[in-house]
Amino acid sequence: MTVPALAFSHVSVRYDPAEPPILNDINLEVAPGEKVALLGLNGSGKTTLLIAAVGLLPHEGTISVCGLPLTREKLGEVRRRVGFLFNVPEDQLLFPKVLDDTAFALTRQGMPAAEAAAKAQATLSALGVGHLAQASLHHLSHGQKQRVALAGALVASPPLLLLDEPSAALDPPAKHALARLLADQPAAMVVASHDLDFAAALCTRFVTIEGGRIASDQADAAEVRRQWDSSA
Amino acid sequence: MRAFWHDTWGAGRGPAVRLSPATRLLAGILLFAACMLAPTARWPGAALAAAIALAWLASCRPPWRFVRAVLLLGLVVLLPYFLLIALLADGTSPTMSHATLTAAASLLLRGMSGLLVSAATLTTLRISELDEALAALPVPRAVSGILVQIVHQTALLAYETRHVAAGMAVRGASSGRLTAWRLLASLPRVWLPRVVQRADRVAAAMELRGFCGPTDHQRPRACRAWQDVLALALAATVLAATLAVRFGRLA
Repeated sequence: MTVPALAFSHVSVRYDPAEPPILNDINLEVAPGEKVALLGLNGSGKTTLLIAAVGLLPHEGTISVCGLPLTREKLGEVRRRVGFLFNVPEDQLLFPKVLDDTAFALTRQGMPAAEAAAKAQATLSALGVGHLAQASLHHLSHGQKQRVALAGALVASPPLLLLDEPSAALDPPAKHALARLLADQPAAMVVASHDLDFAAALCTRFVTIEGGRIASDQADAAEVRRQWDSSA
Repeated sequence: MRAFWHDTWGAGRGPAVRLSPATRLLAGILLFAACMLAPTARWPGAALAAAIALAWLASCRPPWRFVRAVLLLGLVVLLPYFLLIALLADGTSPTMSHATLTAAASLLLRGMSGLLVSAATLTTLRISELDEALAALPVPRAVSGILVQIVHQTALLAYETRHVAAGMAVRGASSGRLTAWRLLASLPRVWLPRVVQRADRVAAAMELRGFCGPTDHQRPRACRAWQDVLALALAATVLAATLAVRFGRLA
């Protein structure tokens, strides 16, 4: 039996015990290598689901990543298996220079600095920002920061990628290139997005969230589009 | 947009840049200590503090505009001490006014030399090298992570403030005093929550990326080559000479 890359079992998340849960009884399994789009309106709980999956929010129920339960003791091990992209890329860029930031995930795993720099450079180049390797992060546009942050998430080849609005700041050609690049990654992926075209180009499964609950889980993007069009 | 202070990290072009990051940091700390301990009220001590600052500046070769800014900052901070002379001197005792003048001048020289040594050290290290230098020294990982983040976050804060200021200018703060005051008054309610929210999100990202957590790699060596050993030996000798001057053996 294959161990899922990500498994949610009866997971609920609430910011305030007096308030209704933001995520309510979520059950979701993502197989290794599977590309899942997490679709929903603003405030539906997409970002909360991703953040909860890496233990940044307290939750009820059980979450496991690559078979590891998300507990305080295993938190470090779980996070090493996850590449995460926040919806505001600046928040996760922790070094002033692009190359240093991208190489960080590798150097902290003990990879020699030169090897880490070479791999980081290759990842940046694959994302079309190789020429910015020596640049200061403070001088980049929003779209460039988005790609640098993504490079930081991809560089260590984690088995699970959690991406929050990865196409939000990209122009159409960059969006298509990113979808192709991500589709070639062997990692399992959960992509929270409003962008159904981008999700359809990348994912094979489409989970919609409404009011903190999973409303549908299907393999046909066209069906999701019909539902969205009819509710508009 | 450019952040002047932030961009000066690692901008030095002197021979000290070729030393290992930990050596640069350690040598800077030793020389800073020497400047602070130098008895600048006496000629030998004053000459020593000035020589240390000039020699380290020559070794680091920071950008001239940065040195100029640091000198200006030093003068702004330290010159007001001379105003105290007028309060302390009663006009009847020339010895008293000479002593207060010497004390103020000593403070100015010590402060300026320390400031220049710190600034020059800063320009020899990129922020990533600061992290590497701290990792090579017996500093807890959490402490070094926090130090590096203080530097990085200060730059982010400067950029965030510039964005808010630009927004204010665009929305009319730069034209008409009333608008300017109204927008300035709203700064604590706009700027502060924005910065706090940002700090919160960055903290989450730091935690997730394992910024302050244990690393798998071994502590790098502080000294890599004979140049590092020589530089540290020289810095330690300078500190020892300063102590000797301070406690009277070479005075």
